Amino acid sequence: MTEILLSVKNLKKYFPVKQGFLIKRVVAEIKAVDDVSFEIKKGKTFALVGESGCGKTTVARTVLRLTDPTAGEIFFEGSEISKLRYKELLPFRRKMQIVFQDPMSSLNPRMTVGQIVTEPMLFHKVAKTKNEAYERAKKLMEMVGLKTFHLDRYPHQFSGGQRQRIAIARAIAIEPEFLILDEPTSSLDVSVQAQIINLFLDFQQQFRFSYLFISHNLGLVRFISHDVGIMYLGKIVEMGETDGVFEEPLHPYSKALLSATPIPDPEVERARQRIILRGGVPSPISRPSGCFFNPRCPFKMQVCEKEYPEFRQVSQNRWVACHLVK
Amino acid sequence: MENILSVRNLSTYFYMDEGVVAAVDDVSFDLAPREVLGIVGETGSGKSVTVKSIMRLIKFPGKIAGGEIIYKGQDILKLDEKDMYKIRGKEISMVFQDPMTSLNPLYTIGDQLIETIIQHQKVSKEEAFKRAVEMLSLVQIPEPEKRMRSYPFEFSGGMRQRVVIAIALSCNPSILIADEPTTALDVTIQAQILDLMKSLQQKLGTAMIFITHDLGVIASMAHRIIVMYGGKQMEMGSANDVFYNPTHPYTHMLLRSIPRIDRKIDRLEPIPGQPPRMIDIPKVCPFLPRCPRNVDECNQRIPDFVEVSPGHFVRCFNPVGGGK
Repeated sequence: MTEILLSVKNLKKYFPVKQGFLIKRVVAEIKAVDDVSFEIKKGKTFALVGESGCGKTTVARTVLRLTDPTAGEIFFEGSEISKLRYKELLPFRRKMQIVFQDPMSSLNPRMTVGQIVTEPMLFHKVAKTKNEAYERAKKLMEMVGLKTFHLDRYPHQFSGGQRQRIAIARAIAIEPEFLILDEPTSSLDVSVQAQIINLFLDFQQQFRFSYLFISHNLGLVRFISHDVGIMYLGKIVEMGETDGVFEEPLHPYSKALLSATPIPDPEVERARQRIILRGGVPSPISRPSGCFFNPRCPFKMQVCEKEYPEFRQVSQNRWVACHLVK
Repeated sequence: MENILSVRNLSTYFYMDEGVVAAVDDVSFDLAPREVLGIVGETGSGKSVTVKSIMRLIKFPGKIAGGEIIYKGQDILKLDEKDMYKIRGKEISMVFQDPMTSLNPLYTIGDQLIETIIQHQKVSKEEAFKRAVEMLSLVQIPEPEKRMRSYPFEFSGGMRQRVVIAIALSCNPSILIADEPTTALDVTIQAQILDLMKSLQQKLGTAMIFITHDLGVIASMAHRIIVMYGGKQMEMGSANDVFYNPTHPYTHMLLRSIPRIDRKIDRLEPIPGQPPRMIDIPKVCPFLPRCPRNVDECNQRIPDFVEVSPGHFVRCFNPVGGGK
């Protein structure tokens, strides 16, 4: 039996849309995350993929309680954390960290790298004194492939890839168990991307970190994740073991998404038959009735316009929300 | 077949306070009619500056320091701005990365299309309107006549990029330059735009220079590929040469460092180090500090861009597989 580290049940996050000049009225709701459930196994990577606006980052922020959920439950090592108050949440916060997409804006430009990396250790009392924290910071710098003298420098003195290494050092400084990686390489050059991804893999092997990996880069997701959830307009439409989903996607959206992703191989590309979807992603304020994907779906049936399909288990390792899949 | 464009030893430098940036250094290539030439490279590799030089869009502190750009027999670097005006947008037109900023938010889509058409062709306003509607339906915008009166903000990102493509193709150019045209778009929309560009390119026979950092996109679009790094061409050849017989260590390593969706791999092989800082770089191969195959000669001078097999060029003293 694999241990479950994080379990999210029926998570919802709605944002009100307000209108009016002096008196603001709520005129609509954006259902950014709408009834999402998934589990992350200890020491494994769960990836959430989808196009911009599908709600993947909101899931991450809600799991960390950077924003409060509208409804639903979040269990971290068996404890329900979705309604805990700030003080009660602190011991859990120590076990969770996040690496953001853009290392230019996620590091305080007025702090030295040393201050950036030691701050969480002192705050969470992982290190008792500044000196102890600093000694640990030196080790961390080596772990992420930087030099100890870098601790006295400021973020602007580093390249994008190096800055992301600093962000990683900060995240692992308090020895968390769970890391959210929100598009951690999408602002980096391709030649640097692999360095950072390998760093995450090494740490996972060494420290048994669990990751929630958020990305729109399907190649990376295939490479790094064990399980994957594909999101569309606030809902997970397909979920399962990564290899299974990539080799035999069942939901028409998953099929289209994989088919749309170019493969760096000219012969393969020439032989490929692409599924080209019509139109764009509808607005999350006025989602289509029935299955949200029905206006773009090449296999649409009558029932698809009326009912949203149930998200159900179709095989041992696969969940799908589609009327077509039996 | 005669080349429609020949770039010879193009160098574009930026004269900054901190020093000189050789953004494009000694770049040479040809473009044949109906051909799609891909330029691939990372941030700062010089791919955008190369095509901006072709369009003569380099601004202070940048300057085209040398070379020739021969379009239909004449060197367009020697043209005065008035003559260049007749080429830019008409003969050679360009699609930029971000459709949010390349359209004017204050004018309707129709105005912007008609403006371009009237600027370059001697037609009446009615004629231009008709042609504009045709262009919008060519890029598959539904209800084109009605959409002529829409403003850019009323369109989604993908639709805006369609409009930009319509404007770029409205004067029936011989060369279309696309600078990361799908980077700002989601992957399903990217597939639509690439599909559209490919079919229009085949239908109209426009030669195309396609710039991207995405090796998947370049594999699906380009007949021939230039790999750039640190302002220089590292390798050039057919798509098959570059992907199946990568000869420059950079290309070779780059292809091994990217994961793909159709294969399970255990480990990525990253390229160590960082892309070069471009200010006042020494006159050696820009990839030298990261290259595991470097030899003594690499520290002395920049290797020539040599043809290792017909049409396959590489700039390296110690090419992978001996350059075969």
